[in-house]
Amino acid sequence: MMHEIFSFVRGPMVWIAFTVFTVGSLYRFISMWRLAKKKDSVVFNYFSFFYALRSIGHWIFPFAGVNMRKHPAMTVVAFLFHICLFVVPIFLSAHVIMFKESWNISWRWLPDPAADIMVMIVIVCCLFFWGRRIFLKEVRYLTSVSDYLILAAVAAPFISGLWAYHQWTAFSAVMIVHIISGEILLMIIPFTKLSHMLFFPFTRGYMGSEFGAVRHAKDW
Amino acid sequence: MKQNNIFTYTVIFSIFLLIGTIAAFSQEDIENVHDSAFKKLTRPAVAFFHDIHNDKAAIEECNVCHHMFEGKKRVEDDDSIGMECSECHYKEPVSSIPDLIRAYHLQCSGCHLKQKAGPVLCGECHRRE
Ligand code: HEC
Ligand code: HEC
Ligand code: HEC
Ligand code: HEC
Ligand code: HEM
Repeated sequence: MMHEIFSFVRGPMVWIAFTVFTVGSLYRFISMWRLAKKKDSVVFNYFSFFYALRSIGHWIFPFAGVNMRKHPAMTVVAFLFHICLFVVPIFLSAHVIMFKESWNISWRWLPDPAADIMVMIVIVCCLFFWGRRIFLKEVRYLTSVSDYLILAAVAAPFISGLWAYHQWTAFSAVMIVHIISGEILLMIIPFTKLSHMLFFPFTRGYMGSEFGAVRHAKDW
Repeated sequence: MKQNNIFTYTVIFSIFLLIGTIAAFSQEDIENVHDSAFKKLTRPAVAFFHDIHNDKAAIEECNVCHHMFEGKKRVEDDDSIGMECSECHYKEPVSSIPDLIRAYHLQCSGCHLKQKAGPVLCGECHRRE
């Protein structure tokens, strides 16, 4: 029984997850492109790579923007969170070793103790975001149930992964939960607020062009 | 003084001999896979009671695991007993010869998956005690 479930979630299910993620992202890009063409086709005239990159540049470095200097705690947490969020799943030894087993491709991986710490950072950051939504009035006002669910979906693979790595208890069950939660996370990215991961360069580039090329102002 | 020294050396030598013998004897029963190519293990050692495992799994031929190759061709009636896997499988893959970690994982987990018996998750083999 265990073997059947495991073979499925590590085999076909991984393909399904990656396919939904890729096709879903393409679909979102195309429909966004169409919408932009219809609603605001002048964007295509004034879109400027220079101003787009200038704006992106200012937003991907910590404290390069006014808003970030105003909220130092949030800025530090958000940057740490995003770095660990992307680096851990891609450079985790367990994940790289599975790629190696399946397709005989591999790349350098993080030492396990380092990954362990980064995972804990992600979990603490999730708690911070959670607390912010509960305790800060101006944030709570803008929060819906789906925000909590998305936060839980992001935290789940990290909590279960940490648990599995340390083999606290019920190892096999937690491992299966971990794999499924990772796959769910991958699949919901294109269809939820998490799609900001895909659209960030475009929204920022759009704002950058609008402010730089049209209004001759800064947008950071 | 001289006599004393010889006595001390003899005692020390005997102790080493005793430890050596015990170590040699306990090596008879393999309880862990320990390939000497892994200088420092990053994961807990894999418990593997060699003879018990092979009895339980009903593996008849030693060369299912201790296989021998001539170029790319498997030599069915020969084996590599007494050799470590790392004598032929290295840190990096060499053409179609898998690297050492992959060789262990494919051989062990591969059979467990195929037979739907035996451990397949990282933590089932690399157990923290
Ligand atoms: C399931 C796979 C498997 C099978 C089948 C198997 N072995 Fe092994 N054998 C191993 C592994 C793994 C090691 C440990 C290698 C290490 O730690 O370097 C080992 C180690 C040994 C060693 C010790 C080598 C040393 O350096 O200490 C001997 C001897 C040995 N096997 C003989 C046999 C014989 C004889 C048979 C058949 C009756 C057999 N093996 C069947 C996997 C297997
Ligand atoms: C005498 C050298 C030698 C020893 C010792 C050896 N291998 Fe291999 N092994 C090879 C060669 C050569 C190949 C590649 C054959 C090819 O080119 O397809 C191979 C292939 C493999 C493969 C992949 C394909 C297959 O046929 O199963 C696995 C898995 C593997 N070895 C595991 C092991 C393990 C585990 C050990 C130790 C118990 C071991 N090997 C010991 C030479 C060796
Ligand atoms: C040719 C098939 C085969 C190969 C190769 C193989 N195993 Fe197994 N292994 C089995 C089977 C079958 C079982 C289940 C035996 C049972 O409990 O009935 C098993 C069980 C186990 C168990 C659980 C033992 C127990 O008492 O519950 C461990 C641990 C294990 N294998 C480790 C390894 C390791 C490590 C290797 C590689 C060096 C390996 N196996 C290679 C077939 C294999
Ligand atoms: C069927 C048993 C089995 C499973 C399942 C398994 N391994 Fe292994 N692994 C081994 C064996 C046997 C070795 C050789 C270990 C040795 O010589 O000490 C090994 C070696 C390693 C090594 C290199 C030695 C070290 O400690 O640095 C790493 C890293 C590793 N495994 C990680 C993993 C990860 C990650 C997973 C899950 C994706 C995994 N293993 C699943 C049996 C297994
Ligand atoms: C394709 C789906 C996935 C599979 C098959 C998978 C599988 C695994 C496995 C086998 C481990 C090792 C457990 C151990 O060491 O015993 C692991 C660890 C881990 N995985 Fe995944 N995973 C998947 C997706 C994800 C995703 C999407 C994330 C995060 C977004 C993630 C985060 C982690 C973490 C945090 C650990 C623990 C590392 C530590 O605590 O040091 N995984 N995963």
